[in-house]
Amino acid sequence: MKYENMPLEGVRVADFCWVWAGPFACMLLAMLGAEVIKVEGHKRTDLTRHSVVWPLADPSPTVVPPNQGMSFNSVNMNKKSVTLDISQPEGAALAKQLAAKCDIVIDNMRAGAMERAGLGYEALRKLRPDIIVISSSSRGMAGPQRDFGGYATIHNAIGGEAYLTGYPDGDPSTTSGDTDLMNATTTAFIALAALHHRRQTGEGQFIDYSQCEGTTSLIGEAVLGYQMTGRVPERMGNRHPYYAPHNVYQCWGVDRWLALEVHSDEEFAALAQVIGKPELAEDKRFKTMKARKRNEKRLDSIIEEWTRERDRDWIVNEFCRAGMAAAPSRDWQDLYADPHLRTREAFITVQHPEIGPLEMVGVPWKMSGYTPPANRAPLLGEHNDYVLREILGLSEDQVRELRRKDIIK
Amino acid sequence: MVTVLHGIKILEYTEMVAGPYCGKLFADLGADVIKIEPPEGDRARCFGPFPDDKPHPEKSALFLYNNTSKRGVTLDLNKHAGKDAFKRLLQWADVLIDNHPNGHLAQLGFEDATIQAINPHLIFTCITPYGRTGPREDVKGDELTIAHAGSLGNVLPSRSANIDRAPVKPGGSQVGYQSGITAAFVTLAALLGRGKTGKGRIIDISMQEVILGLMRPSITGARYLRAHWGRVPDRPPAMGRMQTSDGYLVLGAVEDHHFGALREVMGNPSWLADDRWLIMAYRTHHAPEIAPLLDAWMAQQEKDDIHHKLARRGVPLGPVNSVKDLLENEQYAFRKYFHEVEHPLAGKQKYPGWPYLMSASPPTVSRPAPLLGQHNEEILCKEIGCSATEFQRLKKSGAFGKTKR
Repeated sequence: MKYENMPLEGVRVADFCWVWAGPFACMLLAMLGAEVIKVEGHKRTDLTRHSVVWPLADPSPTVVPPNQGMSFNSVNMNKKSVTLDISQPEGAALAKQLAAKCDIVIDNMRAGAMERAGLGYEALRKLRPDIIVISSSSRGMAGPQRDFGGYATIHNAIGGEAYLTGYPDGDPSTTSGDTDLMNATTTAFIALAALHHRRQTGEGQFIDYSQCEGTTSLIGEAVLGYQMTGRVPERMGNRHPYYAPHNVYQCWGVDRWLALEVHSDEEFAALAQVIGKPELAEDKRFKTMKARKRNEKRLDSIIEEWTRERDRDWIVNEFCRAGMAAAPSRDWQDLYADPHLRTREAFITVQHPEIGPLEMVGVPWKMSGYTPPANRAPLLGEHNDYVLREILGLSEDQVRELRRKDIIK
Repeated sequence: MVTVLHGIKILEYTEMVAGPYCGKLFADLGADVIKIEPPEGDRARCFGPFPDDKPHPEKSALFLYNNTSKRGVTLDLNKHAGKDAFKRLLQWADVLIDNHPNGHLAQLGFEDATIQAINPHLIFTCITPYGRTGPREDVKGDELTIAHAGSLGNVLPSRSANIDRAPVKPGGSQVGYQSGITAAFVTLAALLGRGKTGKGRIIDISMQEVILGLMRPSITGARYLRAHWGRVPDRPPAMGRMQTSDGYLVLGAVEDHHFGALREVMGNPSWLADDRWLIMAYRTHHAPEIAPLLDAWMAQQEKDDIHHKLARRGVPLGPVNSVKDLLENEQYAFRKYFHEVEHPLAGKQKYPGWPYLMSASPPTVSRPAPLLGQHNEEILCKEIGCSATEFQRLKKSGAFGKTKR
C-alpha cells in the first residue's frame, strides 16, 4: 500500500544487510518513506528468514520455512526484495548497477566483504560520484582487530555496557539483541546526516561504522567518571547512585516484579501512605534522600514485605495514582495486553501470505500528518521483476535468462 | 570544510539524558544547537560523577558529556521576559527538542497550537516516558521503570537461573540514550522531508515504545514461534558469557566452522573427538553434557590472549571490557575513538567519540558543554536581534533568572 506525506519519499536505499544491525537501519528509513531494496542471494539468504530467535523452547523447530522467521519479519518491514547471486560476476554487475541507482547503500557484512564483491565505495562512486555508502561492521574497516567478528551480545560486552549490567555481587550481563537495533538506529541517523550534507554540497561520502563503538558512545558519563574519580564504575543492579528507594520488588505470584523509583521526599511520603506506614515519612532513617540512600536495604525489605503479598498490576496502579514512577517488569504477553500501548497503536497488523495476520511491533514514534506503513517484510525475490525491469530496465527475455542461469530466483 | 549538519538550527529545552543526547548528536555534526536551561540549570548538573567526588554544577560528567558543541542560555519561562525571548528563539529555530513531562510547556503558555502559530515550519520533538497520549500519558517514568516497562529489563541479567532474584535494568542511562538516538533520527528525517511543503510537524517519542521497539525480534519470536523469553541460562557452548582466569568474555561460536576452530584452539580434547560436535543441531541438544568441561577450560585461559587466538581463527567473541579497558583498547586507539576535551572548570578528559568515521566531514566537539548561562548575551543579541539596552532590560526583568551572567 502507498502512504502519503512521507518525509523520506524519493530517497532510494540499497540494503546489502543481514541479521539485525543492518536490516533494521534500512527498515527505519523504509518506515519513513524511503524505497528500500533488500538484496540477497537466493542460495544464501538473510539467515533470519528461516531461523528463530535463540534460544528455543523445545520442541520448536530450529528452522522455519523461508519467509517465516519472526526476527526477519520484525526488522524488514515495508521493503522490496530482489535476489541476486553476487558470487557470480553477472549478479555482482547487476548489484552494482542497482546500487548506482540508489542514494544510500548500507551493508553490515564483514569488513571488506563488499570490496571483494566489487561493491565497495571506490567502485560505486565511479558510477555515481555523490553516492553515500555506509559499512557497519563489528569493529570498523581498518585497524588491528578489523577482521574480528561479533554479534550483538559481543559488541555489548566489548563496548563496555555488559560490564555495567547486573548485580554488584553477580556476573556481568550482556543485554539482548537490542544492541543491534540501537546500532541500526544510529546508522539510520548518520545516513540521513550524510544525505543532508549531500543536499547542501553535492558531495557523497563513505561512512565506516563500528558496532562496538556504538555501545561505548552510550556510557559517556562512566568513561568521564572513571577519569574524574580514578574508580572504575561497577554494576549497581537496579539501584541508583542518589535515589532511594529505587529497585525492583517481588509481587504475589511466580516471577512477578514491579519497578519503583522515588525521586523526592513528597513521592516518598506518598509511598509511605500507600503501603500503610505513613510514619516512615517522619522516620529519621528515611526522611531525606541521603538518609534513605544510607538505609536503603532496610527500606527495600519493608517495601517488599508489602508488595510480596499483593498483585503487581494493582500495586502499580496505586503507586502511579499517588504520583510515583512505578511499572511492572513486563514480559512480551504483558506488552501485547497493555491498554496504553493498544490505545497508542504501538503494534501494527500486517498480512503475511504464508502465515496470515501478524501483529508486529510498530515504529517508536508518532508524527503529525504521518501514518506508519502497515506493509510486511517482503517474500524472497518478491520484487525481482520490478527491480530488474523497472529500475534496471532489463527486458522480459533478459530476466528469464538470468533465472535460467540461476543468478536470480 | 562544511560540517555535515551545517545550517540546521536546533533549540533544545531539555534535561538529563534523552533530550540532551538527541541535541548532542546534532551539535557534534555541526548543527547550531542552543540549549535552554532554567535559571537553576539542567538537573543533570546535580548528578555526577564529579572530579574527586566533589559536586559542582559545572563539573558533572553526565552533563558535560551530553552537552558538547552547544551554546547555552538560561531563561526563566515563568517570567514574561523569559517567555518573550523563548518566543523569538522559536522563530529562529528549525527544530525544538523538549523532554519535559507532558503539559509542562503548555502550562507555561506554550500549547502546541501556540508554538505552531509562532513558527509554522518548526519540527517539534517531544520525548516523554510513555508518550503524549494514552492512559499513561501523565505517569512518571525514568531509567529503571521504563527499562522494565519496555521489557528489556525483564530478560536481564542474562544467563541467570535464579527466578527468585529480581530482573535488572541495563547499566547506566540506556533508556535515555536510546530515546535520544531515536528522536534524533526521526527529527532529522522530518527536517529533510520538510522541504516540499515547508510545513512543520510534531513528533511524539515514547521512551517505553523505544525500548519495546528494540525488543521487537524477541517479542514476535516469543509470540509466534514460542522462542524462549526470560533471563534463561544461555547454555554454552553455543553463545554466552564465560569466565576466564582474569575476567569475562562473551563467546559466539555459533556456526559449525566456528566450533571446529574452537575445538582446534583447545587442542582437540578427547571429549570433543566425536565429529557430531561439529553439527549445530547436535550441539544445541547436547550442550549441557560438555558445558562444565568447556567452562573449566575457559577458566584457565587469559581473557585478551584467548580473545586474539580465537578471533584470528574467525570465532566471534569479545572480552567484557570495563571503561578502563576501553581507554587502553588497541582498536579504539587505532580509530582515534576517544578524544580530549578541555573544559574551563572541569579540566581535560577523554570523551567517547562517535561510531561513525565519515570521509567527507567528520564529527567533532566544537566546544565543551556550556557553563550555566554562558551564551546569554551572545544568543540574545546575535541570534534574535536584541539591542544592548534591550538585553540589559531583559536581564533586569529576570528573563535569565538570578544568574550572574
